[in-house]
Parts: sequence; structure tokens; C-alpha cells
Amino acid sequence: MPNILSCFKWVIDEAYIKTGPSLKLDMNFVDYKISDYDKNAIEEGVLLQEKFGGSVAVITVGKPEDTKGLKDALSRGPEKAYFVNDTSFSDLEPSQTASLMAEAIHDRIPFDIILCGEGSSDLYAQQVGPRLAEKLDIPCICYASKIQVQDNQVLVERKVDDGLEVVQAPMPVLITVSPDINIPRIPGLKDTLGASKKPVIEIAGSELNAVSARLETIETRAASLERSGRKFSGDQAGIKALVEALLKEGAI
Amino acid sequence: MDFKLTEEQELVRQNMREFAKTYVDPIAAEIDENSRYPEEVIKRLSAMGWMGMPYPSEYGGAGTDYVTYAIAVEELSKSCAATGFTMSVHTGLAAGPIFYYGNEEQKKKYGAPLCNGGALGAFAFTEPGAGTDVGAATTTADKDGDAYILNGTKTFTSNGPNADTYVVFALTDKAAGASKGLSAFIIPKGTPGLRVGEHFKKMGIRASQTSEIILKDCRIPKENLLGQEGIGLKIAMGSFDHGRIGIAAQAVGIAQAALDESISYAKQRVQFGKPISKNQAIQWMIADMATEVQAGRFMYMYAAWLKDQGLPFAKEAAMAKLWCAEMCNRHASKAVQIHGGYGYCKGFKVERLLRDAKITEIYEGTSEAQRMVIAGNVLR
Repeated sequence: MPNILSCFKWVIDEAYIKTGPSLKLDMNFVDYKISDYDKNAIEEGVLLQEKFGGSVAVITVGKPEDTKGLKDALSRGPEKAYFVNDTSFSDLEPSQTASLMAEAIHDRIPFDIILCGEGSSDLYAQQVGPRLAEKLDIPCICYASKIQVQDNQVLVERKVDDGLEVVQAPMPVLITVSPDINIPRIPGLKDTLGASKKPVIEIAGSELNAVSARLETIETRAASLERSGRKFSGDQAGIKALVEALLKEGAI
Repeated sequence: MDFKLTEEQELVRQNMREFAKTYVDPIAAEIDENSRYPEEVIKRLSAMGWMGMPYPSEYGGAGTDYVTYAIAVEELSKSCAATGFTMSVHTGLAAGPIFYYGNEEQKKKYGAPLCNGGALGAFAFTEPGAGTDVGAATTTADKDGDAYILNGTKTFTSNGPNADTYVVFALTDKAAGASKGLSAFIIPKGTPGLRVGEHFKKMGIRASQTSEIILKDCRIPKENLLGQEGIGLKIAMGSFDHGRIGIAAQAVGIAQAALDESISYAKQRVQFGKPISKNQAIQWMIADMATEVQAGRFMYMYAAWLKDQGLPFAKEAAMAKLWCAEMCNRHASKAVQIHGGYGYCKGFKVERLLRDAKITEIYEGTSEAQRMVIAGNVLR
């Protein structure tokens, strides 16, 4: 019966980001959420446990105050949470997150299946899963749309460009999941309130070897679409003018 | 002084929002149009623990405070005021008297199924001749051995046609009148002598079902008396006190929905070559709406917080209900104004919001009755 560990990232909810003057991003009034596809990873962990037994836990790396994310994750069914935290753990890049997580998991947390979302809602770098697998020296299967457990193996379906690929790997294994693998549950009231009573195991940043960042963010701006604002009439002449304009722009 | 919700309260809001978005938004217009009771949604709410929020967990409730409960009512009402009201009247007025005045046996037998057993509750108090004038009640409960025999007609009973359990008020002592002679009874559906009368065709909250309840020689064992004889009016008034917090929260949900719809429409509706949100006339309406929605939210949360602290809250609950009800009517009307002709037509949510808003000024005590309560408190 597998020990399942689902990873999640606590990210800014993009719905709250406002665009300020000169396309600056206004993050003053943002709220946070579990990264969208990580909800699929948590849900899949719980579904696998319901089907194949074993245990399911979640793990996240973040700042000590990010406790709401732990409650949110635990309200979705896992039994306990591992919280790798330090005041310096903000805006980590994927290599740092993967490195911290690998060190925290190694020797501390039993695992047979590690689940990640295919990418995060904010950066969508799709890096943490494969990097974590590499550091733990276990097989990695990305973009899973179905997972089955048989004996000591996992059987995973992945959607590829022109079909479906079925791969098999021995446990322990890391799998990143696509959003079509399941529909994350909406926690009921008692799940929500019961989350606070589930154990959270803290792993302090000071216990781990921090890795320095390799990337530097110079500027963040909102995407903008320049519109020329030209209007064309619906008659024959107007349509002709529209087609000519589109040809001139190279749009058709 | 702390205006911050707890992490649990924020998650309750988030999860109720998610629930409402998934299960209620897609059917809200249809159940309004067809005046259909959304039984599947209510059963799902019950299974997920939302129908007995403030009551103890040993009876299937969730043991939340009233602030958390009111937040959930607001969120659900944002999607559908009728569904939010069904939850609110069930929790506050029907389950409330059983948990606050019932004995152990009554809480187990009738309270628990209301919390998580999928059972729906109704509160039969109003009579054709006794609305705000509760003293004019004429339904009687005559003692007959180990039983009471109830006779009379109740009207405007919310959840009346769908309820499994009714809390019914009747005079056990006609000479003493309502103030000392009224008593409350629990009556399960299907009891001989209890009949659902006329279904009312309402202007708003049409998915919530409202009917007459007709009692004709309805024999109720004395075990179904709530508390003791003669405290019916106290039970009813106490129930209205906390029920009003739910209605205030429902009204804020309607107003917030009116605001959300107005903001999104004003940003995309172009007139004179620019979105109408660029016009000061529209901006000021939206600024007023946002301000008053926030004020209303603070009012219901304050009343709920007082209740949670075990402090007197009847005046504040009446103030919250009065203000939020009138506020949501002003802003549902403004939201239609911002939408112009489109807002007056079916298909735009604001049309439903305006019809739904009106009832908040009428039920669980009219705005005038709230002013009576408030004046009685401040002029004392």
C-alpha cells in the first residue's frame, strides 16, 4: 500500500492582480490560493489512497505565515502536511524549491508515489517535478491523465500529441498530473473545519542547505494588446478595405 | 479590535463560493423562472454539512460560530437569494428553536436530521390575521390527555410544502393571549390533521416555496411541546432575533451580487465611444453601492459577533436586518438602472435580484417591525 505525497505551491490568485499605470502590476490587495493543477495532484493522491490504500500527505515550501494553504490542502482529504518553511522562502525559483523539497523529503518522509501538478499557476515552469525526481534519483512521468497502482508498479496514461502513451515504472516514482486527470472536490464544511485538527509537521529552513537563486527578476509588466481602433463599414467597399488592411498587416 | 476573519472563516467563504458557483449558478435562473424547489442542491448542502452549521456536532451540526454561518449565507445568496433563504430559514427559524429550547430527545429525534440528515425545517408562525400583530394569533392547542389538539391556519410558511419538520405556534391558553398563552410544537410531516394549503406565487425568491399550513384536529403528543407551555412568544421572538442575522447576510449577498454584476456590465457596455464605467454618473452609483455593501457586511457581522460572545444582540440584529434590507433594495434598483433596458429584461441577473431584494424588507419582521424593536431599545 503506497505512501503518497502530493506537493503544492501557495500562489497569488491572479484574479486579484490589478494592472496599474504604465502596465505595472498592483499586488497590494492580492489573495492566495493553492496553485490550480496542484489541486489535481492533491485530489489524485486522495483518490489513489481511497482506491489502493496506503497513506496520503501533502508537502509545501513557503513562508511561516502561509498556514492558510496548509488548512486548505488538508481540507481536501490528506491526513497530514509537511511544511518546509523559512522567512526567506518567498519568490523561490523552481531549482530552489526542488532542492529544498528533495532534502526535506530524503531521510525524513516515507514515499512511494510523489505527485505534482504539471506546472504552477504563476510561473508554469514545469520544473519542480522533474528536478525533484532527479534529486531523489527516482523515475519521473510527466503530464499523467490516469494513474493505476499494480503490485510495486504504477501504470500511467499520458496524452501525447497524436495519441495516448501508457508507461510503467517501479515505485518509488514521481508523477506530474494534467488538469484533466480529475475534478478536484469542493471541501464540505466539516472537512474545512476538521483541517485545523490534522497534524502539520514543520521542517525549518535552518535544517536544510539553502540554494541561492540563479535568476533575477528585473521587471514584471502586464501583457497588453495594442489595438489600432480602425472601423470598417459592413458594405462591399468596407469589406474590401478590411481585407486589404489585413493583407497589408500580414494577418491573412 | 480585529476585522480579520480567521483562516477557517476565509476557507468557509471560499468553499461555499465554490459550491455555489458549481451547483447553484448554473440553475439559479431556471429555478426562479419555474419556481422550482432545488431539492438536489439542498440535499447536497445537507450532506456536505452546511444545513446545521451553528449547532453542536453531537447532533450532526458543525459547531461553528454565528459569524461563520452568516458568511456562508451571504455567499450562497450571492448566487441565489432563494436558496440562501431556504438555508437561512431552515437553520435559524426551524432548527434554532429545537436546539435552543428542545430537550435531549427532541434534539436527537428532530434536530439531528435537520443538521445532516437531508431533512428540511419550516417555521409556522404567521397567520392570516396575525402578521406583525402577533397578539392576534388564533391557532389553538387544546390539551387532551397526553396530547394536544391543534386547530387553525398558518400562512406564508417558508419551506411549507417541502418541510419534513414544522415548528408550529399555537395558543395553549386563549385567555392569557399570545404573550403568556402561546406555545411552540414540533410537528413531523405526515401527521394526520396537518395539511399544506395554498402555494403562494411570489414576485421574488421564487425557488423558495411558501404555503399555508392548515391544522384541523391535528393531534400532537405532549413530548412534542418545545420548552413548556406559555413560552411560545419568547421562543418566536428569540428565533427572529438570530434569524434576522441570516436575513441581513442574505441581503448583503443580494447587494454584493448587484454590485458585481454592475461593475462587470459597466466595464463592457460601450456608449458614446467608451465604456459607461468611464462616466462619473455610473462611477458614483458604483462607489455608493460598494460603500454600503461594506457597511452592511460589518453590521451583520457585528450582530453575529455579539451573539457569539454571549452578549445582547437583539437591537443590533434588528439594525443589521433593517439597514441591509433597505440597502439591498436601493442597490438592486441601481443595478437595474446601470443595466438600462437590458436590466429590465429576463436573462440578466439584476432583474431577478431586484425582485428577490423586496422580500428582505418584509419577512422575519418588516422594516417597520425592526424600527419598533430598535426604538423600543433606544428609547428605554
